Amino acid sequence: MHPSLKPLGDRIIAYLAERWSLPVALATLEQIPGGASRETYRVRVSVAGETRGLIVRRDPKTSLIDTERALEYQTYEAVHGAGYPVPEPLFLEEDPRFLERPFSVMAEIPGCETQVAGVRADATEDRRERLGANMWMLLGELAALDIDALGVTRFMPVPQHAAARELEYWARVIETDAQHPQPVAMATIRWLREHLPPPSKRLALVHGDYRTGNFLFTPDDCVIRGVLDWEMAHIGDPLEDLAWSLDPLWCWPERERAGGLVSRKAAIRFWEQASGFTVDRAAFRWWQVFASLKALAIWISSTEDFLNGETKEPILAMAGWIMTDRQNRILVDRLHPASAHVYTEPLA
Amino acid sequence: MIPKPAQALADLALKLATGIAPETASAYAQANTGMISALLLALAQDSERAAANRLDDIADMKHLFSDAARLFPSAAGADARAAFCADAPAGYRISELDAFHARGMVALIDLHAWSERHAPPLAQRIWDFLRAHTERNRFDVAAP
Repeated sequence: MHPSLKPLGDRIIAYLAERWSLPVALATLEQIPGGASRETYRVRVSVAGETRGLIVRRDPKTSLIDTERALEYQTYEAVHGAGYPVPEPLFLEEDPRFLERPFSVMAEIPGCETQVAGVRADATEDRRERLGANMWMLLGELAALDIDALGVTRFMPVPQHAAARELEYWARVIETDAQHPQPVAMATIRWLREHLPPPSKRLALVHGDYRTGNFLFTPDDCVIRGVLDWEMAHIGDPLEDLAWSLDPLWCWPERERAGGLVSRKAAIRFWEQASGFTVDRAAFRWWQVFASLKALAIWISSTEDFLNGETKEPILAMAGWIMTDRQNRILVDRLHPASAHVYTEPLA
Repeated sequence: MIPKPAQALADLALKLATGIAPETASAYAQANTGMISALLLALAQDSERAAANRLDDIADMKHLFSDAARLFPSAAGADARAAFCADAPAGYRISELDAFHARGMVALIDLHAWSERHAPPLAQRIWDFLRAHTERNRFDVAAP
C-alpha cells in the first residue's frame, strides 16, 4: 500500500468497524485506475477471522459525469436483487464525516479482469466469440427485465418519449459545457431532432454506459461476472444501450468487430436472441447517431471539467482532447451526405 | 537556439512511457503515466500544426462565406459572415487565432442550419469543410 493512502485506509476501517460493530483490520488498499466518475479503491480487510475484498467508490471533487450516487446505488440493489451479475452493494454513505465525500462500498468479485485487450489479441476466435456472445446476451437479458418487477420505477422517472428526453438532456450538456463552438455536435443535434423516432414501444432499464471495460469477466472462461458503472442508468429505450455498446469508439482503431470482439451483426443477433426483441432498424439508426452525440457530450463536459474544475485527472484531459477528436470524426463519417464511411457503417 | 516544442514534448512522452511508467509501483500510477504520455504526444502534434490549422480553417470558412454571399445574399446571418470575411485575427498567438476562429465557427453553424433547409448543396460543402477540419486536427495517438 502506498504510504499516502494510509490515512484513507484508517478512515475506511473505522467506518467499517462502526457499520459491522466488529473490529476490522486493513490488509491492503490500492486505487484502481479508470474510475472516471468516482475514485475507486480495492480494499482487503480482516474481520471476524476472515479476509474480505471490498470496492470503495468515493465521489471525486469533480467528475467526468455528473451523476446521482443514490440513484446508482439503488440501481445496483435492484439488479443485484434480480440476480443480474453485479457486485453486491453493501453500504451507501453520504455523511461527509467519514471520508470527506460520499462513497459506497461493494463486495469485490475476485479473479476478474476489466480489460479485454488480451482477449482481443488472441489468435483464435474462440475467446473473443465467447466473451462477445456473453456481453451482448447479457445486455439482451437486461433489456428483457420488467422495470416494474425490478422496482426501478420507484426511484427513476418514466419518460413519455425516451429519445426526445435523452436528446434534449445531452444537447443541454453540450450547450452548457462547450468551451468553443461545436459545429459537428450542432449539426448532429439538428439531424436527431429532425429524425426523432416515435415513442418507444417498450421501456427498459438502460445501463447507459454498457461497453467493453465496464464489466468484470474471468479470463479463463470469458464469463462476465459483474456489470459495473451504473451511474448513467435510467429508464429508456433498450436500443440506446445496444447502439452505445456498438459505437466505433469502443473498438478504436478496429473497424470490423464490435468492442473488438465479434461482428456488429453477430452482436445484434446475440442481443435479439436474449432479449426476445427484434431490432427496429430505423429507430436503431437514430440511436446509433445519438450514441455518438452522447459520447461527444461527455467528452465536451470532461474538457470543461479539466479546464475549470479542481480535479486535474488525466482521464478528463484524455476524454477532452483525444476522445473528442475521434468522436467528431465518427459523427462526420455518420452524417456527411457523401460519407466514405471510413469509421462507421452506412445508415440504412 | 532553435525552439522545437513538438519534438521536446514527443521526447518527454516517450521518456514517460518507457522510462518512468515501468518504474511506478501501482496500477493507478501506471495508467495515469500512460495517459499523460499519450496526451503529451497529442500536444506535440497540436503545437506544431495549431497555427496553420486555424489559418486554413479560417481561409476555408471565408471562402464558403463569400460563395454563400454571392449565391444567397439574403440568407440569415449574412452581416455576421460579411464582417468575419472583412476582418482578421488580432495576432498570431494561438489564443488570438482561436478567438477569431470561434467567431467564424459560430457563423458557420448558423449558415449550416440555414443551408440544410434552403440550399442542400451548400450544406454538403459545409460537411466537406467539417470533414477537412476534423481530419486536419486529428490526433494520431494510440490512447492507452
